[in-house]
Amino acid sequence: MTAAARIIINEVKGYHNFLKFMMALVVMAVLASAVRFIFGLGATTNMNDTYPWGLWISFDVVTAVPLAAGAFTLGAIVHCFHIKKLEPLVRPAIVTGFLGYSLVSVGLLLDLGQFQRCWHTMVYWNVHSPMFEVSMCIMAYTTVLFLEFLSPVCEKFGYHMPLRVLRWLEMPLVIAAASISTLHQSSLGTFFLIAVDKLHNLWYNPLLPLQFWMSAIFTGMSIIILEATMVHRYLGQPDESELLEVLTKIIPWVLGAYLAVKFAAMAFLSHGPLFDRPVLLVLFLVEVIVGVIIPMLMFMKRSNCCDHRMQLRGASLIIFGVVLNRFNVSMFGMIQPDQVVYYPSIVESLVTIGIIAGHILFFVLLAKYFPIFEHHPETVDYSIPDHFETVAEHEHAKGAEA
Amino acid sequence: MSSSNLDVSKHKTFLIDTTKCTGCRGCQVACKQWNQLGAENTKFFSGEGYQNPPAMSEYTFTRIKFKDYQKNGQNEFAFYKEMCMHCNEPACASVCPVGAFVKSPEGPVIYNADRCIGCRFCMIACPFGIPKYEWSKAFPLVKKCTGCYSRVKEGLHPACATTCPTAISYGNRTEMLAEAERRIKARPKHYYQAIYGKEEAGGTSVIYLTHQPLDELGFKKVTTRPLPSYTWQALRLVPGIFLAVGGGLSLVSWFNHRKDRIKREEAFKNSKVEPETTDQETKEEGQ
Repeated sequence: MTAAARIIINEVKGYHNFLKFMMALVVMAVLASAVRFIFGLGATTNMNDTYPWGLWISFDVVTAVPLAAGAFTLGAIVHCFHIKKLEPLVRPAIVTGFLGYSLVSVGLLLDLGQFQRCWHTMVYWNVHSPMFEVSMCIMAYTTVLFLEFLSPVCEKFGYHMPLRVLRWLEMPLVIAAASISTLHQSSLGTFFLIAVDKLHNLWYNPLLPLQFWMSAIFTGMSIIILEATMVHRYLGQPDESELLEVLTKIIPWVLGAYLAVKFAAMAFLSHGPLFDRPVLLVLFLVEVIVGVIIPMLMFMKRSNCCDHRMQLRGASLIIFGVVLNRFNVSMFGMIQPDQVVYYPSIVESLVTIGIIAGHILFFVLLAKYFPIFEHHPETVDYSIPDHFETVAEHEHAKGAEA
Repeated sequence: MSSSNLDVSKHKTFLIDTTKCTGCRGCQVACKQWNQLGAENTKFFSGEGYQNPPAMSEYTFTRIKFKDYQKNGQNEFAFYKEMCMHCNEPACASVCPVGAFVKSPEGPVIYNADRCIGCRFCMIACPFGIPKYEWSKAFPLVKKCTGCYSRVKEGLHPACATTCPTAISYGNRTEMLAEAERRIKARPKHYYQAIYGKEEAGGTSVIYLTHQPLDELGFKKVTTRPLPSYTWQALRLVPGIFLAVGGGLSLVSWFNHRKDRIKREEAFKNSKVEPETTDQETKEEGQ
């Protein structure tokens, strides 16, 4: 026991200071959630009857879900549209997605007033509720991501039988991931269709679910760019900007389609005044210009597509834009003219910061202990092995090469 | 939750004639007594105008709002009873993931506290801002006017309607609507020519008559379309989209994989090498 603890302590001591800082943030978040569970929502958060949903729904759920969309987008691009050369990006994307969805579930659970009854959604169905739809999808998709994530785990420990099953399941899982994601990414937009006279017309229109889904696709690709660039910079992995070029060439098309849908919906499908609230108008313009139009123009220029600095800048702008968009829809756009303004409490902020830190921390740790980058197609035999020895031989050969 | 197939005309409905309200607030007291709601420590004038408590809360299911205005140079009061509207097709019932809200066949929209998981979507969805949360508790539930379902079930009238000396009538929806129309027609100068709740949110089991324009009294301008239809128009597509995306992507991947396989097989045919060694080589060519 003590020996094992000592090994762990020594291991942690060897970590970079940044990781230790992330660990401290996660510990703070765990303490903050303990405080929330002991004292209840009213005492620890700034939510009230005017703001029944606060930072946790706006960021940890409504924003975090599109930010975790990389796995399904890339899965569909690589496996369904068969752009095989992007294969090296898939595993890190799956890990990011799996972590993202696990943390979304944590955030959702923290926000529930009666968290001990979360299983009720599985028993008492209400198919008319977007919340029911999203919670079912998140459970299903987290399971799918977990199964996809099992591949590196099985490789690490050399479990060959499950690996066979997982390889056989690969395509069904990729397709399930894309269809389930389509449903819940769009249903997050359906949430706000019920807020007919509450959400401002700049965002409220019947095509909101479609816009949520489209923005999830380009956000997913941008997250992959961000993640691959960061991994190249800080984890010493090879520069993938050549592969990312494929994504940066697709992104402006999706952004353009999104923009067209957004403006068409605003022009033809929304009712009531659009430009009556100056603050909301500014938020809307920032979201659209900085988060959509500028990155679209950037990536329309060929030379920007392959430049790794421009890739990072464009992706960051898109991510900023989508975060602002989700906050606009789920919080700012819902504020009525005479309402007091909500700001998150210390507990709410600590938990959300901890969730972001936890994502980075767990990603780095998984990358450290599991083969999530070594999965390059050149080195791995995709055919199902006939004997266990075959796999062992290949592993051996790979080791010798390295 | 499908309430649309229920017979709306038989739903018990409140007809609240605000021109007859004296502002005695007996309804507020009766409501607190029947529902065993705690008192709130409030200050007079802490909210807008004369009303007290300043806002609806987990302890206050109904309250009289005061609106002062001038008529012929004299100060006058108008009153408006704020409470759950008991919509014919309630938004709260449609968004609740576990179906904790139900439109009862008698009329009141009732809440099953044992099911609630505390997601507070009902509070976002309600166009009248009625459901309130027990923010004071560690395991909070939603609180709102029950329409005195426990009384109505037994053939009694709700506490507030029983107490009210002047303004509240209670009965079947068709009868209450007919009575409202009769009053408006009989005294066109006395009444503002509209029945709030007749069509608001697709029709409600609480209807109001007023003397002044509705917006001046603080009635919310609400869509006349039933709110559940706004989300259902998107949600009804869910099974179709699931099958279309799943099937579409399966087809696309089948075609792409087939193309790849044919290319590999042709490369194998052209290469004319011994089968044992080709497997690895063709794979490398395919990359």
